[in-house]
Amino acid sequence: MENSTQPVSEAPVTNGTTLPTTNGAVSMGNGAVDVPAQDFTQSPGNYRYEPQLQAQSQTKTLAEPISADEIALYDRQIRLWGVKAQEKLRTANVLLINMRALANEIAKNLVLAGIGSLTVLDSSIVVEDDLGAQFCVSEEEIGKNRAEAAASQIRRLNPRVALQVDTEDIQFKQPDFYAPFDMVIATDLDIATLSTINASCRLCNRPFYASGTHGFYGYIFADLIQHDYVIEREKSNRPTALAPETFTRSIVATSTKKENGKVIEMVTKREIYSPMVLANTSPLPAEQTNSRRRKLQVPPLLSCLRALWEFYTISGNMPSHSHPDLALFTSLATEKHQELLLPAETLRSDFLRSFLQNIGSEIAPITAFLGGQLAQDVINVLGQREQPIQNFLLFDGEEFKGPVYALHPIFPDMDSILEPPIAAPVAGAEMPMPMPMPV
Amino acid sequence: MGRDRFVRQSLGALYSRIKQARILMVGAGGIGCELLKNLVLTGFGEIHIVDLDTIDLSNLNRQFLFRQEHIKKSKALVAKESAAKFNPHIKLEAYHANIKDPQFNIEWFQGFKIVFNALDNLDARRHVNKMCLAADVPLIESGTTGFNGQVQVIVKGKTECYDCNTKETPKTFPVCTIRSTPSQSIHCIVWAKSYLFTEMFGTSDDEAPEFDHSEDTENAKEIENLRKESQALNSIRQSMGSVDFARKVFEKVYKDDIDRLRSMEDMWKTRQPPAPLNFDGLSKAAEGISPSIAQQDQTTWTEAENFAVFCDSLKRLSSRLQKAQAQDAEAAAPSVLTFDKDDDDTLDFVAACANLRSIIFGIERRSKFDIKQMAGNIIPAIATTNAMTAGLCVLQAFKVMREDITKAKMVFLERSGARVINSDTLKPPNPNCSVCGVMQSRLIVDPSRATLNDLVEDVLKTQLGYGDEFSINNDVGTLYDPDLDDNLSKSFVDLGVKTDSFLTVIDDEEENPRVNLSLSISEKSLPGDTKPVQVPGKLHIARKPKEVPAPTANGASNGHAEITGTKRKRSLEEDSQREPKRGKIQMNFNTDGFLINDVVIADDQNDGAIVIDDD
Ligand SMILES: [Zn+2]
Repeated sequence: MENSTQPVSEAPVTNGTTLPTTNGAVSMGNGAVDVPAQDFTQSPGNYRYEPQLQAQSQTKTLAEPISADEIALYDRQIRLWGVKAQEKLRTANVLLINMRALANEIAKNLVLAGIGSLTVLDSSIVVEDDLGAQFCVSEEEIGKNRAEAAASQIRRLNPRVALQVDTEDIQFKQPDFYAPFDMVIATDLDIATLSTINASCRLCNRPFYASGTHGFYGYIFADLIQHDYVIEREKSNRPTALAPETFTRSIVATSTKKENGKVIEMVTKREIYSPMVLANTSPLPAEQTNSRRRKLQVPPLLSCLRALWEFYTISGNMPSHSHPDLALFTSLATEKHQELLLPAETLRSDFLRSFLQNIGSEIAPITAFLGGQLAQDVINVLGQREQPIQNFLLFDGEEFKGPVYALHPIFPDMDSILEPPIAAPVAGAEMPMPMPMPV
Repeated sequence: MGRDRFVRQSLGALYSRIKQARILMVGAGGIGCELLKNLVLTGFGEIHIVDLDTIDLSNLNRQFLFRQEHIKKSKALVAKESAAKFNPHIKLEAYHANIKDPQFNIEWFQGFKIVFNALDNLDARRHVNKMCLAADVPLIESGTTGFNGQVQVIVKGKTECYDCNTKETPKTFPVCTIRSTPSQSIHCIVWAKSYLFTEMFGTSDDEAPEFDHSEDTENAKEIENLRKESQALNSIRQSMGSVDFARKVFEKVYKDDIDRLRSMEDMWKTRQPPAPLNFDGLSKAAEGISPSIAQQDQTTWTEAENFAVFCDSLKRLSSRLQKAQAQDAEAAAPSVLTFDKDDDDTLDFVAACANLRSIIFGIERRSKFDIKQMAGNIIPAIATTNAMTAGLCVLQAFKVMREDITKAKMVFLERSGARVINSDTLKPPNPNCSVCGVMQSRLIVDPSRATLNDLVEDVLKTQLGYGDEFSINNDVGTLYDPDLDDNLSKSFVDLGVKTDSFLTVIDDEEENPRVNLSLSISEKSLPGDTKPVQVPGKLHIARKPKEVPAPTANGASNGHAEITGTKRKRSLEEDSQREPKRGKIQMNFNTDGFLINDVVIADDQNDGAIVIDDD
């Protein structure tokens, strides 16, 4: 396909100057072209991002307490998640990479919710195809940089949010580029680029989301490294044990407070994550594969997404409708399906056909759904409340299915949760080591 | 290549039909703004938007088609202007008007391929539901509260309609309704949660906010009786843990108290008297029923199953409370348990107790799943939920446009951690539904000469074969029944029966009565040699199905955002992977109580239903 979802295959826009934008923020640009995904180390050091920019915008918002105006504007959501979560949200600095339709939706939702600062990054230009599902760009903006074009619309949604634009190719970013952000979201990218961003985020200990859509299908992946969040509940007389709840989640602290004569218990839970590069080769959780009935419920979308990523890694483009491409894709999908220990009959040919038909496409109802889901997860994570996605959400908009699987390199039975971890069997794959804690 | 490249790629042949489709969106608020964006981008050819409201500051955090400078302007008109920029090829028509206005008649509804409800109030939803049924246009109905959202497809004759289920709205109840004369399942749930549970495991001086004492002076004697009942229950509480504790509690609340109520004959002159339950009989009937029945939260438990869950949950809660009391012996305040809808022990107890009480009063039982929703809170609207829900509306529309209604679903957002969406197959129409369980027809009326007698004699008795026992009703009241024949000689004009209004004919024959007949009036000048009142075509009116309990009517439409308990269903397929509910995330937690815009925002009282006038 000549116009793939993958900017890696496209020449980045050359834009050697630093452009001021209307709200005084700074656009990043550079003149380099065609640097392969893993090769970002060759990118010259003078393109380094200056983290002070974000730091300044953040200290400003931090200094001002939430105003009555803001409370009126955010009235409904504050009723839902409380003023403390809103305070956290309004000081948060988020990076959003690759501004296609999904990112338009995410940006809209985060900006409406009142995050402190958003940086939208894209080096490509607006083409006519973009008008289909990207509501932030219009016909007059064809030929302009996609981040710049989207930013003018996004800014109007909520002038309180500090919006930055970065037009540099993500491939050229050094790991420390990510350090100023509280959250990094990358959309519609290939697995190598996503893994590189994810690795950089881990180096500076920043939570990372990856998400993408192909027509009716999509996914969200989360690597929050280690995320603590608080659940508040009325204290019961049954004491809350500080203990693991699942393989990835444990209760790490509890405290109490009094509210309107009731004792409220605040339970701090901790989720542990794996990076995408490992999650992408990890087996399904044992409870998902220990019965045939459950195996039958796993959508073939997981196998197809893995196959698509591998196809791109091997061939450098998306599968066309040529016979060799279809044969390669099908054999990869079959291989991934087997690796996941899934029954052959769920990888149906009509599903394969439909998936292939949808590759590279973006349609509004799907990007709206996933963009809403991802933004809500980000909002909850920033506010440190609610269970976040752990760690891979699949979405099939034809079947109305959206299961979440915890994909980790090691996943023992729940029974052995306090025992030393035992590697789960993965057909034909070497077993990666558990991910060490980040620095 | 171009703007429609990807919709062509993903939708294939369907896209050409979408491009030609003329659709209606009712409501341009939270869901509406998101939905309109999706509809315009997807390329629906002609979109009509109706909304009565104007824009308010508190809309701006989610209704993204509106900005500061639009405050106080019409939602429909501004939404149209903003959305037009997303795709200049779409024809948009906006009406700053009430969907109940006469201009939006059945014929007008018939001009649309699909109608989308993006409304925030029960009354308008029910109206559009009725109009779509009459016009036979598919309706996509959606609603959100907090993190929850749902989308339902309604197709006349094929699926449930919006009114096939009872709609519950949160409110307070007179003490006597809860304690003495319940008539709806919510009354029994409030009784189980706020009275029985609290008396057994909580601090009895905790007053539940559901209780409305405004009528207390009128019922002073009964209030005194109820106080005695509570005291007696409290003394039973002292025997918690004893072998016959369950029997004591059961016989107190399901036999002795009921016998006392039943003896007050004045109370049951117009109501069905309650029938006490028998502990020994139920013990026998419940033999062999595993307490694990409590995990089946989708099914409506039988009397014996409810009894089994009652005994089991009572045991679980008693041992929890006693353990806690033993541990906290030194503590100043005595240990208590509080109801938490996410705590299965407490929810099981409330569900079983509420259902047993429902049986006594002849009220329909509910599933645990429904009871959880009804015992929970109403929470406000946010952008992300609206965005997801609006996306699902369009996906449902694709199924309808493909004329593949079997693939359309009842879809819910879910936050269990195991999945983000859940679906259920669409249910067939409820044959006893007072809205869709009716025969519908047009009635052509010549206003210059038609009288009510023409309808009664020519159409109903002669042409359709009705006997003598039936009545004719409209919004205002009864126009005709066998004892009310004053109106027969009056003309339709004199009776105020105008074009596009409805008449309902109710067959009151004892043997095999017909389903209700709903007639929509069309005025037309008819030739002088023909009858002045005519039904177009031939009508075959079905007979009512026998003895299926009818859904209880609920007139309490209050114009508030709401999601109904009865509609939330989860498919059973992946139940087993859900984690235990005890101590799960509470999704409706406000950290502080505070006051904005004269609305008190309560903190999370599991029983303090908050209603927020929205959109
Ligand atoms: Zn109905």
